[in-house]
Amino acid sequence: MDAKKYPPGTGVFGMIRIRFHGRGGHGIKTASRIVGTAAFSEGYHVQDFPLYGAERRGAPITAYTRIADETILERGIIADPDVVIIADDSLIEDPMANPLGGIGPSTLIVINTNKPGIQERFAITARIHSIDATGLSLGIIGKAGAVSAALGGAACRILGFIPRDAMERAVIKELQSIGIPAQLIDKNVEVAVRCFESLPAYEITNRETAPSISAKTFTIPYQEPTISSPSVYASGNITGRQTGRWRIFKPVIHYDKCNKCWLCFVWCPEGVISLDDSEYPHIDYDHCKGCLICYEECPTKVITIEREVTAW
Amino acid sequence: MVRELLTGNMAAAWGVRLANVDYVPAFPITPQTEIIETLSQWFAEGAMRGKFVTMDSEHSMVTAAGAASATGTRVFTATSSQGLLYALEVLYTVAGWRVPLVMVNVSRALSSPITLEPDHNDILSARDCGFLQIHAETCQEVLDSILMAYKIAEDHRVLLPILINMDGYYLSFTREPVEIPSKEKVEEFLAPYKPRHAFFRASNPMAQGVAVLGGSIYSYFKYQMHMASLNALEVHEEVAKEFDHLFGRKYGAIEQYRMDDAEYVLVMSNAFATKGKAAVDRFRKTGYKTGLLRPRLVRPFPAKEIINALKERKGVAVFDQNISVGSGGVFYTEIAAALCAETKRPVILSFIGGLGGKDISVVEFQKILEDTVSAADSGITPGIQLLYTEAEWKQMSHLLEIAGKSPE
Repeated sequence: MDAKKYPPGTGVFGMIRIRFHGRGGHGIKTASRIVGTAAFSEGYHVQDFPLYGAERRGAPITAYTRIADETILERGIIADPDVVIIADDSLIEDPMANPLGGIGPSTLIVINTNKPGIQERFAITARIHSIDATGLSLGIIGKAGAVSAALGGAACRILGFIPRDAMERAVIKELQSIGIPAQLIDKNVEVAVRCFESLPAYEITNRETAPSISAKTFTIPYQEPTISSPSVYASGNITGRQTGRWRIFKPVIHYDKCNKCWLCFVWCPEGVISLDDSEYPHIDYDHCKGCLICYEECPTKVITIEREVTAW
Repeated sequence: MVRELLTGNMAAAWGVRLANVDYVPAFPITPQTEIIETLSQWFAEGAMRGKFVTMDSEHSMVTAAGAASATGTRVFTATSSQGLLYALEVLYTVAGWRVPLVMVNVSRALSSPITLEPDHNDILSARDCGFLQIHAETCQEVLDSILMAYKIAEDHRVLLPILINMDGYYLSFTREPVEIPSKEKVEEFLAPYKPRHAFFRASNPMAQGVAVLGGSIYSYFKYQMHMASLNALEVHEEVAKEFDHLFGRKYGAIEQYRMDDAEYVLVMSNAFATKGKAAVDRFRKTGYKTGLLRPRLVRPFPAKEIINALKERKGVAVFDQNISVGSGGVFYTEIAAALCAETKRPVILSFIGGLGGKDISVVEFQKILEDTVSAADSGITPGIQLLYTEAEWKQMSHLLEIAGKSPE
């Protein structure tokens, strides 16, 4: 069991700011709460907070946990995180998620990925650890939607001052509060422990956020209503948003057995299955979100699924 | 008493549960829904006794809340943003009935463009309707204010409904440590509601909410409401004193942070006042004697306390997380009006910030300080300013470009 490195109330580290990036359904809010609850149970001041717009599966969301040994005088987003937890490597290049925003050389990053070479590929100067939380969840739980316990466990470990048993209790408490059945909670705890133990414990020194004086305020000018009214003139821009990055599994149609019943075409909620000149269905992988409704509905079972690995 | 991590929404639900509320009419809206979901579950489980009813709109919901309160029961309801505006007509109506219901508004900026994150145009649009208003900074304050609100609203010197405001997201979905008081202690603080003026009893029939024709009659009733609202200044003070005595937490009509020797004062309300306090700490580290004043009781407006707190200062910067389009900040107007009769008064600056939940960065707080100090030195105040950063402007320009709208 880890010793407490920073007893609460000693004012040693001030505040640690953790930022979680994931997609709707990953369990990022719960991951941030697992860390919050674990630190709170150890006597620290805690604030946690998820930020999402119109809730939908697959869309990027962010959550934040602040841990301090004194009253927390901050609210809202964390622009300069000490720790960044990324639930899905496809988020790295997502301009709306921007998970690498505001990181410094001392920031610690934990990323859920099964691909090697993340640090080099994205020229990340911060310290980075990869875990295959999705693979672990598939192995232990049998499915890999939410990775909340895995990421919560990983974040608790990396902080260095949260003992394993406090982490486990927090996983149980948070999963119970959202109505997860006991058996599934046990498996989640197992995943969380595996992630916890696969990572080193750091001594995180909080970065005294120096006022970013380089930033400047701006006086916005008046603009014509052709510019300043909330309307979009550019048409067809939805194709620019590659929602295919949201997939965990990819549906694949086997044309040698497909009888052209078109049920996949009918059921696809995103309208990304089209029919070719010979009336065979085709999936637009740039925009298929991997909901797998086509796979479920195919009456002849000629659609199979493959774990997604983005081709680099 | 237990100490737990609670969101603002959960803290609100706990306040309602502890206040032994009899009736909750409800309608969902982000970011308020978690309050009524929680209450609905507690009623269903039997943890709360009374009636929970889902309504067809906020307009019906507030009508039902007012009508139920007029029968002499203890009533709670909650909404947000567009929902509050949809109910605005009946907010005026039920306030005129002089019924002591308590309602939570979870602030969310108003359409259009439609959005989800907070500013205070929603709650301030209900400024003049007769509901008292308490604006909370923390999740603890949300819970505590609900308990205090019933005691104030049900006091015979007041008998007006109360709106408690919390920011969407920054409080509603934010967990922080909250003390949940024990049932016994709350019962000691808050006695059951005993109506004398408006109730339902078959043996004692009355007509309520009657129509009047003729301005002299209308003026009488309206001004009675105004005087009752002003009475709440005194009642709030008494109730706050008793609350402090029992629970050890002190709430004023205004909160003053590091104000003792402050030469420059930042005025901020609601959740972002927390960020304002951190800014004050930073300013003090660089040698500026600064403080923060947070209006908590917004209706009735604690003008006297605000004047006393501000009149001797060099400069006051009013941060408005709202905009009265074509005029400016609502708090700025009210604070400037309160101070205008003082012969010795500070320069007063107006900043609009945090609209639609926009974050306030360190550099924007720095601008507030620099402008206030320089205005106090020169005696010349700049006009209303929107807080915005160069980086945000760059992003905005990029989005306009994507939308096919490039400047000539």
